[in-house]
Amino acid sequence: MLVTIDPRDERPLYLQIIDQVRRALLEGTLRAEDPLPSVRELAGQLVVNPRTVSQAYGELEREGLIYVRRGQGTFVSSSIAPDRRARRALVRGVAERALVEARRNGLGVEELVSMIWEVAAEETAKKSHSTKPAGREDEEGVA
Amino acid sequence: MISDGGSSRSEYAVTTHGLSKRYGRQPALDGVDLRVPDGAVYVLVGANGAGKSTLFKVLMNLERPDAGTAEVFGLDTGRFGPEVRAGIGYVPERQDAPHRAMTCARLLQHASTFYPEWDHAYADHLVRALAVQPQRRVGGLSKGETRRVQLVLALAYRPPLLLLDEPTDGLDPVVRRRALGLLAEHLADTQATVLVSTHHITELESLADHVGVLRDGRLVAQMPRDELQHSVKSYQLEVPDGWEAPPEFQPTGLRRATAGRVVQCTLVGEEREVMQRLAASGAVVRGVIPLSLEDSALAFLPEDPS
Repeated sequence: MLVTIDPRDERPLYLQIIDQVRRALLEGTLRAEDPLPSVRELAGQLVVNPRTVSQAYGELEREGLIYVRRGQGTFVSSSIAPDRRARRALVRGVAERALVEARRNGLGVEELVSMIWEVAAEETAKKSHSTKPAGREDEEGVA
Repeated sequence: MISDGGSSRSEYAVTTHGLSKRYGRQPALDGVDLRVPDGAVYVLVGANGAGKSTLFKVLMNLERPDAGTAEVFGLDTGRFGPEVRAGIGYVPERQDAPHRAMTCARLLQHASTFYPEWDHAYADHLVRALAVQPQRRVGGLSKGETRRVQLVLALAYRPPLLLLDEPTDGLDPVVRRRALGLLAEHLADTQATVLVSTHHITELESLADHVGVLRDGRLVAQMPRDELQHSVKSYQLEVPDGWEAPPEFQPTGLRRATAGRVVQCTLVGEEREVMQRLAASGAVVRGVIPLSLEDSALAFLPEDPS
């Protein structure tokens, strides 16, 4: 698992670490019984206070997502299944960041939400537009 | 104030009481009451000449204060200098190495004889990780190379307290990051207390859990890092013509930028209380922005009008 820290993200570092572990679980890059880097390793790699890593791991352990095997390290729980709760928590984090950014720019929630829909619709339209010619090319190639 | 609760170790690794020191007419330290919690990474911020290095030297008993006292793990630094120094890993600001003719390997060997806890395997690991060249002579090292040797000297016996005076000064960005990574690993292994001074708060932002700000020899702020960032924020205000900040905000001399009718200023205080005072002054708060650790600390170091 690769954990990185975004210096522009204003949320506490331990929350950033938690989110990355959650994301790795959802994406399946981290699976049941996989080992997590030790507190020491991750602290050294990210150059963060080891207490910050411990705090993140402690929180994930309380949520039942990971567990500590004494003397052996930290592992992903065996009962971990694609979890709706974990997904919700991840979405929540993204939403919170977007809201902070919106407020900073003096924007309201409704403006933000409706613009998200608008942009998403535009992107979908663009994508279907750009994939059509590609599809035709393929057909020509086959023919 | 200190409630020991019967535990053998105080909750503070380092305390000073009314510490003052002048050089000629210039006060280097002025009534400093430092409190470094046991196990904390305490970042000391201040301009050049604010007194950081003097404070470190007093803690090492390399300088005598004119007034006040200092204790490290409960020992008075003036009376127990050698005992105190034995428990401190010190990276000094100045690099006046006393063993210029020795090779780095010889210097480390020499240092190891002073500390029963010296861990040769760990020292070798640090030497490799920081790319110290063992056969080079100490006197011929560059500033950055000297710093790397000093870091090995400070960490290799895992002292309970690290005093790091600008520890990354002179290091290139790659080595700087590696050195700080080693420090993070060191903290995971030892639970040491760290008092570290820096010009580059940003590089220590993810390690710090306590912050002190020295200004002209006075400790003008000292608090947990979270509290600092919680209590210093940037406010975007829409203000009527001729608006002045409420007088209670002015002594802190906070930064202010104006663009059109919008004023942006950094203010210290509990957010709700600050908002109420601003509203009472006729300003409309358009936004509140959290600050980086560096910007929060800088709020206590107003720009020189000169």
